[in-house]
Amino acid sequence: MSRERAPPRVLAIAVPDLPLQRSLRSRPPAGALAVVSEGLVLHVVAVARAAGVRPGDSLVQARAACAGLEVVPLDAAADRAALCALAEALLSLSPAVEVSPPDAVLLDATGARLSGADPAEAERELANGALRLCAAMGFEGRIAVADGKGVALALARHTGRERTRAAPGEGARVLSSLPLAALELPAGMAGWLAAVGVESVGALAALPAEGLAQRFGAAGAAAARLARGIDPRPLVPFAPETFPHEEWDLEGEVGVLSSAEPVIFAAKRLADRVAARLAGRGLGASRLRLTLRLDPRGEERLDLPLARPSTDAAAWLVPLRERISGLRLPAPVRALDLAVVEAAEVPAEQLAVGDRPEVARALEVALSRLSARLGERSLFAAEAADRHRPEMAYRATPFRSGAPPATAMRHPASGAKPLPPAPDPPPGRPTRLLDPPRPVVATGEGGRISTLRIDGVPRAVLSLVGPERLAGEWWHEPFERDYYRVRLEGLGEAWIYRDGRDGRLWLHGLFD
Amino acid sequence: MGATTRQQEILEELRRQIRRLEHRPARREGLLSCGRPEVDALLPGGGFPRGSLCELRGGPASGKTGLALAALCQAQSEGGLAAFVDGPGELYPPAASSLGVNLSRLLFVRPGHIPRGGARDAALPGLWAAEVLLGSGAFSAVAVDVSLSGLSSARAEPLLRRLRTAAEKGGTVALLLCRPGAPTIPAAVRIDLDAVRLRPSLRIAPDEESPHVA
Repeated sequence: MSRERAPPRVLAIAVPDLPLQRSLRSRPPAGALAVVSEGLVLHVVAVARAAGVRPGDSLVQARAACAGLEVVPLDAAADRAALCALAEALLSLSPAVEVSPPDAVLLDATGARLSGADPAEAERELANGALRLCAAMGFEGRIAVADGKGVALALARHTGRERTRAAPGEGARVLSSLPLAALELPAGMAGWLAAVGVESVGALAALPAEGLAQRFGAAGAAAARLARGIDPRPLVPFAPETFPHEEWDLEGEVGVLSSAEPVIFAAKRLADRVAARLAGRGLGASRLRLTLRLDPRGEERLDLPLARPSTDAAAWLVPLRERISGLRLPAPVRALDLAVVEAAEVPAEQLAVGDRPEVARALEVALSRLSARLGERSLFAAEAADRHRPEMAYRATPFRSGAPPATAMRHPASGAKPLPPAPDPPPGRPTRLLDPPRPVVATGEGGRISTLRIDGVPRAVLSLVGPERLAGEWWHEPFERDYYRVRLEGLGEAWIYRDGRDGRLWLHGLFD
Repeated sequence: MGATTRQQEILEELRRQIRRLEHRPARREGLLSCGRPEVDALLPGGGFPRGSLCELRGGPASGKTGLALAALCQAQSEGGLAAFVDGPGELYPPAASSLGVNLSRLLFVRPGHIPRGGARDAALPGLWAAEVLLGSGAFSAVAVDVSLSGLSSARAEPLLRRLRTAAEKGGTVALLLCRPGAPTIPAAVRIDLDAVRLRPSLRIAPDEESPHVA
């Protein structure tokens, strides 16, 4: 006795009038707008529709009906890219996402019921999340959850409702009232069925499946199954290949010289979308690039290194705002493009005892601001290096807020390899190291130094301890130095050395 | 009197709620020990007051950097983060480590970029960085070593007041390292370090503008 495998639950999210929505989301609110292709109107906004413009009208008819109609040509590649961007963002909700052109994305919703909650409630939560992400990406979508992707797609595209749910095994019943066009059958089959009076999905389901299979082959058998709510086809997973970038067209030529606010507003929208797409892939941006396209030509690029990989658009916005506000551009800005240049997995945040998430966020914002203004190399932590040459005895490392405090303990089951112990710092090192060292002239009698002249100022030597000989690196740049700790009148303690190569004295540090 | 206290409590509670709504770190209060009992004994209350500017004034080898590092070490030992705005780029990490500072939790900021005004404006990037760090609330203590010698008193005053406001906002101890002759700093506490004698001497100098020092 074999148990039949349950059909996959699929969430379909369809974006009605995707070309129109895509055009509207990348520009400020427009008046009458229509998307046209080959002289025919394909999609129109409500304002134009109220004026009498209908999909299918010729461009001449449309302009006659609505004099102020703005026309946007259909851009299938851009529409496809927008759909892929939406799919990328939806990856944060489900591991399997399929792009279903021209206007839909499918998610594997089978796992939703594993959350332990009531399956219907779990699917409702998934739908809520999908609608939220869809809105964040600038689209208004319609959602259906059903058995199999064909059923879910038909419901999402053709019920006209924002949400539709067909409970497991109920697909056929929910589909039955839809017109036959909802199944998007091949033209020949649809024409024949219409000719014999089959107008709804329910009517098709009532036909014998064998007859359809004999007449139309595999396509007929599949249509019969689909009409009965059966679609076992698996999803074809979508895998994004490039880092995300989003564009915004500033209609009306907004100049940042007079006011940066519109540009910042547009940058915020872009940041929200890029962050949503990155989050779907489990990545965080570590470097962004904002390109401002100027009117009529030219562009300004802003590189924005971030303190750590992040998908927090609000945190990105702080340095973005500062950089944009500080710009002096020769021309108005006509478009923006925000791209992720570098991304990495978002590391798990290791908070120190007493740290709280808001501290980590405040730190991230502060580091991003500093990094954007001063440059990444200006911020660092340090670690000891096993070198004898004093100026090489440490190296700069990235500052990690999660670095454990001295009192923190490593979890024994963490599996992380223990870090090699840092070399102990040598004793008696000055708190300030001068780079480059300053020349020192010594005076004295009988081989005893009594005065050191530093920067032209003679200072009496009160005490002198040393030498400590440091030498080595014969394979690279050999050095040989005798260091002395000297207390100087009117200055304090200094660290000087005699260069073994030429005998000259140098002030290398101060015990401040 | 009682009504005033009650109003202050309500105001403080409202501030706390606003910080929570803005997801900002809670403001630290109280004192930060400087890590050296002999200095703590001289400080009012026994430590550096959080949310204020503290000035460490002394010559190039007077011990002010060591004192600042000891305070940063103390801040770290309480689980906090510390930062050092190193304008001249002279702080030597191995020395900081030998004084007990956890280098992995010490942020070095070396603003090497010189702005358009040249040497006259050389202090500005460092002061801006200090303001960002102090106001963030993410750091327990921030040492600021930025030469103010190129700034006139009139120019330095508003910049230093901004630092003080940022320190108050973040509840952070700001340790300003100054050379003799630098402009007056609106600090809550000033420590003069004198290395002319064999041992640096310490003197607490109450600031006229500050209400914190009796």
